[in-house]
Amino acid sequence: MRSPAAVRAHDVWFTYGSPPSAGWVLRGISLEVPQGCFWAILGPSGAGKTTLVKILAGLLTPHRGEVEVLGLPIEQGRIPQHLRQKIGYIPQQLGLVRGLTALENVLLGSLGRNTGLLPVLGLFPKADVKRAMEYLELLGIAHKAHEKVFRLSGGERQRVAIARTLLQGPKVIFADEFVSDLDLLRAGQIIETMRHFVKRDGITFLLNLHEIQLVQEFADEFLILKEGTIVYQGEARSLTMSLFQEVLEYHGESSPSCAVGALGNRVDL
Amino acid sequence: MKALRRESIVYGALLLLLALVLGQLGFFDPTRLSRGVVNLITFSKDMIPPDVTILPLAGRALFETVQMAFAGTFLGFLLSLPLGILGTRTLFPPPFVLTVRVIVGVIRTIPSLLWAVLFVIVVGLGPLAGTLALAFYTVGYLAKLYAEFFEGVDPEIVEAAKGVGANRLHLARFVIWPESANSVLSQLLFMFEYNIRASAILGFVGAGGIGFYMQAYLNTLSYQRLATLLMMIFALVLAMDLLSTWIRKRYLPTT
Ligand SMILES: Nc1ncnc2c1ncn2[C@@H]1O[C@H](COP(=O)(O)OP(=O)(O)OP(=O)(O)O)[C@@H](O)[C@H]1O
Ligand SMILES: [Mg+2]
Repeated sequence: MRSPAAVRAHDVWFTYGSPPSAGWVLRGISLEVPQGCFWAILGPSGAGKTTLVKILAGLLTPHRGEVEVLGLPIEQGRIPQHLRQKIGYIPQQLGLVRGLTALENVLLGSLGRNTGLLPVLGLFPKADVKRAMEYLELLGIAHKAHEKVFRLSGGERQRVAIARTLLQGPKVIFADEFVSDLDLLRAGQIIETMRHFVKRDGITFLLNLHEIQLVQEFADEFLILKEGTIVYQGEARSLTMSLFQEVLEYHGESSPSCAVGALGNRVDL
Repeated sequence: MKALRRESIVYGALLLLLALVLGQLGFFDPTRLSRGVVNLITFSKDMIPPDVTILPLAGRALFETVQMAFAGTFLGFLLSLPLGILGTRTLFPPPFVLTVRVIVGVIRTIPSLLWAVLFVIVVGLGPLAGTLALAFYTVGYLAKLYAEFFEGVDPEIVEAAKGVGANRLHLARFVIWPESANSVLSQLLFMFEYNIRASAILGFVGAGGIGFYMQAYLNTLSYQRLATLLMMIFALVLAMDLLSTWIRKRYLPTT
């Protein structure tokens, strides 16, 4: 019994250069993420994870292939506003405005529906302000609501970014390794919080993630991306260090196992 | 090694070029230079003691100069903000941005004194012409700089805001402005300092301010009065520089 796909990609090809001469960064990606599921994307540095997530979020246009989010095609980077609002995106560096307060940054999430002049004057609907504060409360940083973002710690900033995305009210969230600056314990807390919200609201969640342990613990399904192709897909519970190694080695990665042992469960490839 | 040698050749050639140009401009003409030194000494002697009886008159003219600089800078700033936004590639399509930048480029090629001449012809003698001249000069300079600041805002932040469905006005207000406000205001202060100095000479072409008297005293060889003017301008420029440095340090820390 599978729910309908929230995110679908079919034979997606992409390059940052001009097509025939430059090498492809993505080569024929196809995937189908069911609604309400939490998928993790793993892969070595430069595999194309960031690129893939940006394409799925409609921020980059593929040269070939189709992308569909919530059953609607994303074409030429032109996305209807009502769909735009349903797609959340958290970049690796979070994309917070440093000179605005935590609360103001969270309220930016509501700009898709508050399109008039009033927000420009700093006037947001009371309901949005109230919900923004509620999210900050739930994430445990309500006491920092009026603090400028550049004064917040890394973990606090991550919570602000989460609150901003939640206030947007998306049905799908794409996040690009936004916990990779934290230690494993804190990263785990953030992902757990995120998982709580996405499961509660039935949000589909795609996350680029380095830490195998976190994928195992919190994700439903995982993909391994290598040199622009999906080389493996499986249930997150079944993911182990040795499986990950085997997959990469099978696909031509040579990585001495002693180096991996020294790094514990963290895979920085 | 090879690169080093090439570098020294380039520096040597540049020095040679400088010497050549200086020669053509009359820098190696000993009789002219020595005559210049003598003239400078007599000129300085003629300025002493400065004639302070013109202080009330000069004070009013100086005040007008400050007014012109203030209004011209402010007007130019108000025009530069939207023009800078319109010239930002992260917000608008390339052909549109190019058009805006060409217009700003044309405005920038005209020096402030030439603007002053133009506006004296258009609106007549007086400070109105000077103020308009400074405003246009400011636009040419600030609009280009601001477009560059706005484009320099971290693209990830812009992307994140575009991702929630923010429109261009929102992007300008909530992302571009807060991320670049410090540099924008800091440059505004530099521009004001510059315009104070520039507006002091606009009067030479009849565009208002203290320059009018400077020219009159020069023409009538009233060097003692001229000395008073020069000292007042010196004090004003120094005060403004100190003020703007203080404001920048106090309110616009570079992060
Ligand atoms: N803006 C860009 N212009 C040109 N090439 C780019 C650009 N961004 C990424 N690339 C190239 O595309 C390839 C894939 O990059 P991408 O950022 O998607 O990798 P990634 O899997 O996210 O890596 P990481 O784990 O290091 O973040 C890399 O070879 C990179 O050099
Ligand atoms: Mg990346």
